[in-house]
Amino acid sequence: MNHSETLVKQLPTELGGLEAGPLQRVEHELLPWEKRCHALADVLDFHKIVNTEEKRRGVEALGSEIINNLSYYERWIVAFANILFAKGVLTPTELAVKMDEVAARSASVGCCS
Amino acid sequence: MSSQIHDHTPAADAGEVRPSYYEVMETAVRELLVEKTLIGAGEIRRQIEVLDSRNPALGAKVVARAWVDPAFRVRLFANGRKACEEIGITFYDDTELIVLENTDRVHNLIVCTLCSCYPRPVLGLPPDWYKLKPYRARAVKEPRALLAEFGTIIPDNVEVRVSDSTAMVRYLVLPQRPQGTEGMNEEELAHLVTRDAMIGVVKAGVIDLPEKTQ
Amino acid sequence: MTELSKTQLNANLMVIPAEGEEPMFAAGDNVVISHRFPIGHFRVPNYIRGKKATVEAVIHPPAVDNEEEAFGRNAGNKRHYYRIAIPLTELWPGYAGSRRDGLRIEVFESWLSKETSK
Repeated sequence: MNHSETLVKQLPTELGGLEAGPLQRVEHELLPWEKRCHALADVLDFHKIVNTEEKRRGVEALGSEIINNLSYYERWIVAFANILFAKGVLTPTELAVKMDEVAARSASVGCCS
Repeated sequence: MSSQIHDHTPAADAGEVRPSYYEVMETAVRELLVEKTLIGAGEIRRQIEVLDSRNPALGAKVVARAWVDPAFRVRLFANGRKACEEIGITFYDDTELIVLENTDRVHNLIVCTLCSCYPRPVLGLPPDWYKLKPYRARAVKEPRALLAEFGTIIPDNVEVRVSDSTAMVRYLVLPQRPQGTEGMNEEELAHLVTRDAMIGVVKAGVIDLPEKTQ
Repeated sequence: MTELSKTQLNANLMVIPAEGEEPMFAAGDNVVISHRFPIGHFRVPNYIRGKKATVEAVIHPPAVDNEEEAFGRNAGNKRHYYRIAIPLTELWPGYAGSRRDGLRIEVFESWLSKETSK
């Protein structure tokens, strides 16, 4: 199996048996937006708007460069955006416009919850 | 920035109010979905409350009950989810629970090599290390070396059994009850059971190594 | 009075189960994990592909194939998952731990077949 085949046949998130370094026993208290993102995932699954397995596939589909450069919940929210676009629930333009609105709003009065 | 290899999500800076790019994205997605009436306005807030109510103390209660009540223990092994629901721990998703009994002959360990499956309804959210590469890569290949990094040494005549979650079953390790605890009540026993003991990386009653937080 | 087997009961009552309702495998069966390599999404890790395993337990009830669920299938074509056992010595050449050590993993019915070699 050549290198490009390996990239395709293995999921970038699949780690079982790979070479890895020592355990890093780190943890962090979730930031409020991360917790909201987790809650969003659960709510989307309850409604079957995006089920949990679709989310997993969506994260895998981000590809190794994005996966290795975004944190856990950052990967989730980008995956959700992509999946919602593919399903026709949102469009990239809608999301971009809303993001500008949110950013402008929070620049003047502070954050987002 | 952060990755499966190492994670250095910065702690919230009290003085910094400007949200990150991803926080803006999360807020925008949520608001659009509410505007389109695909999700209700209060649903996210409610689910945050649900998540905040889930923590290792729930799992510890299940373990302590199983240690003192043999009939509950039998029901727990027969159907982990039903037994948890019996004592008020609801499962808000479609997962099932298999409780894995540690004995003198078998030491259980749980992992998700494909993603981060974890018994959230009964333990809360998993620690970062559980979701990162060293743990997920090595747990199925060299569990003993990995356990040693947690300070846990399992003798060769004890089987190390690694459960890798891939579908709808989630796992909870039932650690062995520590020696010399015969006089303790259920509440006292629950205090001996840490999250890490229910993942299977340490035994119950062992004082955990200091954890790094950042 | 001798007990009737489930098959006999079904036959006596003329009950025909639906496709996928009855598990194909039982606890104790020797099975093989398929040696195929889907791209795009899967829930059977590469490290167990083509390996021999023993069924430890049938997971009830039958459920949706999670590999199809990932593409939006939320219902239909339900079959059983199986908790299967594989010794770590089978998975990793030169495994340094105890030969007793083992893996348990859930696999969907479509990935398993009966092991026929001696």
